[in-house]
Amino acid sequence: MKPSNEISRQRRLFHSKRYGIGLLFMLPWLIGFCVFVAVPIGWSIFMSLHKVSVVPGGFKYERFGLKNFKDAFVVDNVFPIELITYFQQMLLMVPIIVIFALLISLMLNQRFPGRFIFRAIFFLPVIFATGQVLSELFAQGAGEIPFLEQYNLQPMVEKYVGLQFATTVMDVLGRVVLILWYSGVQILIFIAGFQTISPSVYEAVRIDGASPWDSFWKITLPASVPFISLNVLYTIIDLFTFPLNPVLQHIRANMFKIDTGYGYASALAWIYFGFVFALIAVVLWLFGRSMKSRGKRS
Amino acid sequence: MIRKLRRVTPFQVVLVTAFTALAAFMSIPIIFILNHAFKPQSELFLFPPRIFVQDPSFRNFEILLLHASNAAVPFTRYLFNSIVVVGLTLVGVIVVSTMAAYVIAKYRFHFKGLIMGMITLSLMFAPETVSIPRYLIISGLHINDTYFGHILPALASPVAVFMLIGFISQIPNELLEAAKIDGASQLGIFTKMVLPLSIPAIATISILTFQGAWGDVEPSTLFMQSETMRTLAFYVNSLISGLQNSVAGQNMAAAAGLLMFIPNLIIFLLFQKRVMETMVHSGIK
Repeated sequence: MKPSNEISRQRRLFHSKRYGIGLLFMLPWLIGFCVFVAVPIGWSIFMSLHKVSVVPGGFKYERFGLKNFKDAFVVDNVFPIELITYFQQMLLMVPIIVIFALLISLMLNQRFPGRFIFRAIFFLPVIFATGQVLSELFAQGAGEIPFLEQYNLQPMVEKYVGLQFATTVMDVLGRVVLILWYSGVQILIFIAGFQTISPSVYEAVRIDGASPWDSFWKITLPASVPFISLNVLYTIIDLFTFPLNPVLQHIRANMFKIDTGYGYASALAWIYFGFVFALIAVVLWLFGRSMKSRGKRS
Repeated sequence: MIRKLRRVTPFQVVLVTAFTALAAFMSIPIIFILNHAFKPQSELFLFPPRIFVQDPSFRNFEILLLHASNAAVPFTRYLFNSIVVVGLTLVGVIVVSTMAAYVIAKYRFHFKGLIMGMITLSLMFAPETVSIPRYLIISGLHINDTYFGHILPALASPVAVFMLIGFISQIPNELLEAAKIDGASQLGIFTKMVLPLSIPAIATISILTFQGAWGDVEPSTLFMQSETMRTLAFYVNSLISGLQNSVAGQNMAAAAGLLMFIPNLIIFLLFQKRVMETMVHSGIK
């Protein structure tokens, strides 16, 4: 029998070895991340507190304090309005995209003839998610649906959801095509997620007499909560970093203006980012809570 | 019994019809791009734009090739650069991200919470806002005008790690422990168990990474001063933006748009088959 301090020493050695291996696997990613992501982001905080101007041979930093942040709300008359409208739209679009993706992937998970071809077609929009293709299509108006104007839906929408939200709802309706295209990756994640549910579970509940309706609510949905949360996050991030979104365009426009410059653009980016971060924190908290309560019950 | 299951039910008929309608609706843009590239000059400027081409011709591609052969740097050089950059980026991102995601999902180590927080934070940051600091770092490391300048910034991809963590944490711990008890080394567990089991997720991030790297013009514009180090995406982009107002430019833009789009389609079709393959069939039951 070994003395107790010998055991604890060995335990410590074991743990530090495990820690070491963990860090070793992390290392390549961590270095790349620090150099090309973390440092530039930190740098942009520094810049947001300064007025940055380009002089021959480098940059000139002029200390500004929080003036850039104050200007964003007090002086700039475009930024706050764009920020709020975009957030309203996103709050409506994210749930629609995720629910749509969930429904489509549930149906695609069924057994029916030609399933393979349909899966391929629904993933195809993934290709559009980036690149000039999308922006060119939008410039030509291919992203809008004509029936909105034809049937004059505006008064009807105003009647049912109230005047202040009508424009938001109309905007979202106008982006139905965008929603369809944006759900490619989400469908992909859901379908791959459904594969982690063992078929024998479904078989067991079927033998116990559960209807497909029951098995969806009791098995498929709870098992895909992690994937729903993953998808909500992915959708939020995808929409907020979408290069055509008006807020980012405003930021980019300010980047090369002489009177505002890179410092002001960085401050705008940080404000925008603060709002997105708050939204994501709420989402994470909600899903974390629901997963925890589920874990307790089972 | 099996015969009965295979029978087509009314539900399936409804499902297939609904999907056909939706699929037709969603594939409009793809059909549009395909047709647009073959439209002759007279049809390119029609208003309202038509989806289908009436009088297909290869004229647009001829103009594009003619223009490319007159350029200072041959077209094949751009293509070669693109292939090298995209290939290396893809391999690099997969290896680096799966390693990182594996330990984050399955190990405990110092600063794990901090790293997770940083990943989520950096996901939200639009790449445009950090381009100037990035440029300063790249030139500080003296990797301008090298392939490293293209590849290294793309390697530490928060999106890929973020998606992989979700999948790898679904692999049962028992399986990994069993492998450990059977005497597998850490590297063995990673290459023989974790990598094969997370193939659906790897396929997904491959599609995303490919698109990102293939269409990315930022490194070519900012980090590469020499024209011979720039990629095809940059060439096509400069072609389109340089000739946007001229009539001949529209022809080339349409053809180049299709050329840029086709590799995406091929990669997509190649990998999406893998995505379908189940995780369950590899021994977890």
